[in-house]
Amino acid sequence: MDPMLETRNLSVSFGGKVILKGINVSIPPHQITAIIGPSGCGKSTFLKSLNRLINEEEGAITEGHVLLDGENILSLQPEKVRRRIGMVFQTPTPFPLSIFDNMAYPLRYYGYKKENIHTIIIEKLKIAGLYEEVQNNLSMKATLLSGGQQQRLCIARALTVEPEILLLDEPCSALDIKNTLNIETMLAKLCEHYTIIIVTHNLFQARRLAHKTLFMLDGEIVEEGCTSTIFSQPQDERTAEYISGIYG
Amino acid sequence: MNRFRRYRGIRIWLFISICLTFASLAIILGYIFIHGINELSIQFLLGTPQGFPLGIEGGIWPAIMGSLGFTSIACLFGSILAIPTAIWLVFYNKNLCITSLCHFFIYSMAGVPSIILGLFGYAFFVVTLKLGVSLLSGGLILGVMIFPFIEVRVEKSFREFPLQLVQASLALGVTRTWTLFHLVFPASLGDIASAIALGGSFAMGATAPILFTGAVLFAPVPRSLFSPAMALPNHLYILVGQGISLSKAYGTALVLIIILLALNSVPIFIRMHRKEG
Repeated sequence: MDPMLETRNLSVSFGGKVILKGINVSIPPHQITAIIGPSGCGKSTFLKSLNRLINEEEGAITEGHVLLDGENILSLQPEKVRRRIGMVFQTPTPFPLSIFDNMAYPLRYYGYKKENIHTIIIEKLKIAGLYEEVQNNLSMKATLLSGGQQQRLCIARALTVEPEILLLDEPCSALDIKNTLNIETMLAKLCEHYTIIIVTHNLFQARRLAHKTLFMLDGEIVEEGCTSTIFSQPQDERTAEYISGIYG
Repeated sequence: MNRFRRYRGIRIWLFISICLTFASLAIILGYIFIHGINELSIQFLLGTPQGFPLGIEGGIWPAIMGSLGFTSIACLFGSILAIPTAIWLVFYNKNLCITSLCHFFIYSMAGVPSIILGLFGYAFFVVTLKLGVSLLSGGLILGVMIFPFIEVRVEKSFREFPLQLVQASLALGVTRTWTLFHLVFPASLGDIASAIALGGSFAMGATAPILFTGAVLFAPVPRSLFSPAMALPNHLYILVGQGISLSKAYGTALVLIIILLALNSVPIFIRMHRKEG
């Protein structure tokens, strides 16, 4: 299977401090890839460098290649890259607008017609499992939704622009078990149409959800492979130690 | 026990400070109100200065309109300078050294004495740009004076906007400029309006910058940007400085204070409206 996304010797540094050290990975299409590793190992930096969001941060220097369908995204316009590679953050990021306007925000930017905007919003809210809950309150401020609803709204909003890849940076870390399961169920369905890369601290979540798992440590990929293999027969001692909870 | 006494002492000191703040404002406003209220009449508000020496009779309508004109130009020019500067510093500039340098210049500008700004305004706008002693020259130099005042507040408002929301917008493939105008700006509009209103009241009360650039002893209600104009603080200065009429001076001061209080209450209304929203 040809990879959907590939990094070659990807390094990121901030003011001389190297965060990512020559990372080479390939992300298979229409699968969920989990990135696990202890805090501060560079997971979020890696995720942000995949859609060039890292370049928005002061002093970030990126080297190497990130290939999306064989094309180096570092030579493309960041906005074009981000339309193809969507992202959802650790804490929900609803804009201080109504639910409808949150969803319509990117669609208006891309010049969708009014009637299409309405159809797309309903479709994506249904995919996120939120439509039933908010269909009568679309004009309500999105910030008044519960944490779980806000995060589902953010996922639905990210889907409105039809990205090929969805990056999720610990999307359930601020949610309770019920909301976490809601989102996991949604992600399992979404991977039929989208390639998903999820950073998670929750090893059980990675095990439940991911087809492939990458283990990162100190800005390097220590081990990558099929999730079941990584968790049952890790090849590297450090992976085994992390999975067994010796550190992290 | 000692600690208790010390904290009690601090609390008393804080209470006295807040009482003094309220009292000083109440005394100033009350004093001007008592002395100026008898002068307030339709004739005083809508009339032109008359008598000899000029101003001993009549009203202050040209000065009210002149002050509003100077303030409007100052707010417009100050905002045109301040808002883009704040946008650039917060959303486009990634070089911390340049940010520090800009802040140094902005804070230094805020510290320039207003009479020196007046001198600069005369040399640059009146003489070099040949705008003459006019509403425009006075308004522009007042705009320069309130630029740091507006910039600092607008920049603070932009910096308080959650960076994560900006990143979430950028992550949708939306440009920085679209994010700015459709997300950050609407959220900061109340703060921006407050900053401009406060800057406006600062400009309206200033005399020194317009002394050589736009304000004159007498002029009719300005009909052009290039005509000189009367201004309330300058009129007040002349009435008192040349001993023309102390009662008219209190009346003028009361009108000026009422307009300033109205301008200062704009941010309060904006905040109340936002809370209700």
